[in-house]
Amino acid sequence: MAAMFSQNPLMNGPNYSFNQTPTAAAAGNKEHAFYPYTDNGGSTLAIAGEDFTIIAGDTRSTSGYNINTRYQPKVFKIGGTTSSQDDANIILSVVGFAADGEALKERLDAIVKMYRYQHGKPMSVKACAQRLSTILYGKRFFPYYVHAILGGLDEEGKGAVYSYDPVGSYEREQCRAGGAAASLIMPFLDNQVNFKNQYMPGSGVGHDLQERERKPLPLVEVEALVKDAFDSAVERHIEVGDGLLMMMATKNGIEEKYIPLKRD
Amino acid sequence: MDTLVAQYSRPMFEKENFSDSDQMELYTAPILSPRFAMPPVAQPSAWLRAATDDHANPNCPIKIAHGTTTLAFRFQGGIIVATDSRATAGNWIASQTVKKVIEINNCLLGTMAGGAADCQYWLAYLGMQCRLHELRHKRRISVAAASKILANLVYSYKGMGLSMGTMCAGVTPSEGPALYYIDSDGTRLAGNLFCVGSGQTFAYGVLDAEYKYDLSEEEALELGRRSILAATHRDAYSGGFINLYHVKEDGWVKHGFSDTNPIFWKTKLEKGEFSNVTSELV
Amino acid sequence: MNHLPQGWGRPRDDVYGAYDASYLQNSGPNQHTQQPVVTGTSVVALKFKEGVVIAADNLASYGSLARFTDVKRLRTFADAAVVGFGGDVSDMQYLDRLLTSLDTEEAYGTTGHTLNAHNLHTYLSKVFYKRRSEFNPLWNQVLVAGVDQEKKPFLASADLLGTTFSAPSLATGFGAHLAQPILRTLAPDEEAAAGLSKEQAVEAIKECMKVLFYRDARSMDKYSIAVVTKDGIDLRENEKLEAQSWAFAEKIRGYGTQVN
Repeated sequence: MAAMFSQNPLMNGPNYSFNQTPTAAAAGNKEHAFYPYTDNGGSTLAIAGEDFTIIAGDTRSTSGYNINTRYQPKVFKIGGTTSSQDDANIILSVVGFAADGEALKERLDAIVKMYRYQHGKPMSVKACAQRLSTILYGKRFFPYYVHAILGGLDEEGKGAVYSYDPVGSYEREQCRAGGAAASLIMPFLDNQVNFKNQYMPGSGVGHDLQERERKPLPLVEVEALVKDAFDSAVERHIEVGDGLLMMMATKNGIEEKYIPLKRD
Repeated sequence: MDTLVAQYSRPMFEKENFSDSDQMELYTAPILSPRFAMPPVAQPSAWLRAATDDHANPNCPIKIAHGTTTLAFRFQGGIIVATDSRATAGNWIASQTVKKVIEINNCLLGTMAGGAADCQYWLAYLGMQCRLHELRHKRRISVAAASKILANLVYSYKGMGLSMGTMCAGVTPSEGPALYYIDSDGTRLAGNLFCVGSGQTFAYGVLDAEYKYDLSEEEALELGRRSILAATHRDAYSGGFINLYHVKEDGWVKHGFSDTNPIFWKTKLEKGEFSNVTSELV
Repeated sequence: MNHLPQGWGRPRDDVYGAYDASYLQNSGPNQHTQQPVVTGTSVVALKFKEGVVIAADNLASYGSLARFTDVKRLRTFADAAVVGFGGDVSDMQYLDRLLTSLDTEEAYGTTGHTLNAHNLHTYLSKVFYKRRSEFNPLWNQVLVAGVDQEKKPFLASADLLGTTFSAPSLATGFGAHLAQPILRTLAPDEEAAAGLSKEQAVEAIKECMKVLFYRDARSMDKYSIAVVTKDGIDLRENEKLEAQSWAFAEKIRGYGTQVN
């Protein structure tokens, strides 16, 4: 259950998020009661580039070992002027408890739309990121069970990714994976996006090794990276699969792309 | 008769609409005021604890990020504030790049240990209160007053599950360099030197041994850096980058967000410290 | 205060008593519906070229007792949608009253719009989510079948937590395990579902009802089935399962006292 949204293997080894019942026995008299959360599985991934941001998520929705549906997007456009969101400039992904995710998305979308209506200009990604944090913290004592990632282009036109914990602590990052397979994808990203543990060939051995210089990746490479990350996650996590929905924010707006994944 | 019937009968169904107050956020700017959605149960705090307390129940569904080393100390040249940058949820390292020094305004710093969201939110709230104080009184707030706003605030939430261990550092003309420690139990202490977090013991070990009030600026910065390094070396829940700040009367100065790894090897190979670690890599 | 941040802000055992995991699932007095009582079992539904077929049996169980044998679990809405209810029957009846009132209000509206299946599903999911957020859930999983604003087939699910999803074929409860695999071989994706004729879809759903009756101990051979297209709803509420073959029962071994 640990992986519900905190994306982490439990204290002592791998575990799967469909196991919802707390193993610790309840003290005193027990009765079956209402538990307001569930985990709908799936994974999300966001990478910021020099002048673009990609946010992607698989489209499988699960409950326990069942697949609810093979197509339920986890990535949304936020704050367009119409219901089709064609002119939106912000992307939000939510993974965890899908009903909370949907509620959060609709709340943020309504707020960003009202901002545009009241101020006569679209909300900046930075402002939206701060607003999302206060929305999440507003439910500090009855949290939204979601791992949210927000992205778009900042005021300078650079790619921006903001990642959140369920109660609203947030940070701007270069890349972030969320959800069931986050612990599978994140180490891959550390290596491939931030070049962690990569060194210049021929720079020596031991203490002489020079770290590989970090430079932003071009869009096509990042796209391939996202696809590879999900193909690998599908192989090793049962809650990930069926389809990959990618959204790319560039100066030309948001482009959407769907790629089928393995459906087993 | 109709009123009698109405009094003793239930409606066929309730209005299943959201309340009007839920819609308010669309029309008004967000207020950072202490109004929160509560789980509709008899004991909300007990319910929240059951759902989020990974300390008592490692299988709890929602995990909030923790784990830290932060320190701050007063010296003749102002205040040094230093932190690591790791956030953990259970054994999972959720981030290695957390900014644990929160810039409340251009002359006040807060540090973050415990629940990341609690610290970020309430220190932002504190920043707002400090600005309002400035506007109302036409002068900067004292560190004592700022820290007390925060202490009173968290005390009013005592038992609800807030988790924060924070330090407020600032230099004002009236107080000179001032440093306060505030935690979510409501404790507020003034002092020369504090280390907070799971790596505090390791940081204290280095800091106490070398600390003098008369440290030069250079020496003070190095001591802050070295203390965090010691903590990241021995505490699994601390690591990442060393975030260093120096607070002076005319504001704070940032002295880098630097990777621990090269600093560690530099410290070992050039100064001969950490002799418990072998330098043979191949 | 302990030096490990993991311990901070948490109610201390010495002050507030030991950690009580029972709050995760348990509660004191003064709480709402915490479990269903009289229940309906699976609802199954499948999209086809022009519409959706949906079916549910007419049984309402009281635990393992087959208590009410003539309960209609499909209800129509505004000649545009059918809602199939699984789960608690009293909550189903409550939602029925709610929908009747909604239908009336909308019919008297002056906008000239009528609610389609998509709108109805959105409405129901909001009601479910609101009630779960009050810890007073409506203990149902429902399937909404009909046509959307573009007159295309629409099929979606909503449940007591407010979780929603849509697929070419859906089944609640036991049906998610037994019927869904049958329906998915027939309609693995939207394109395949759009290639099905009404007859094929009805036949598949009837087959599913039969399979469910064979193996679901809380099911019955009397059922309701509805076909929704843009031209309206064809609802039959007293269907009997046909051409059952219990030959397989002969071969079942290993239950009870019978060992081989």
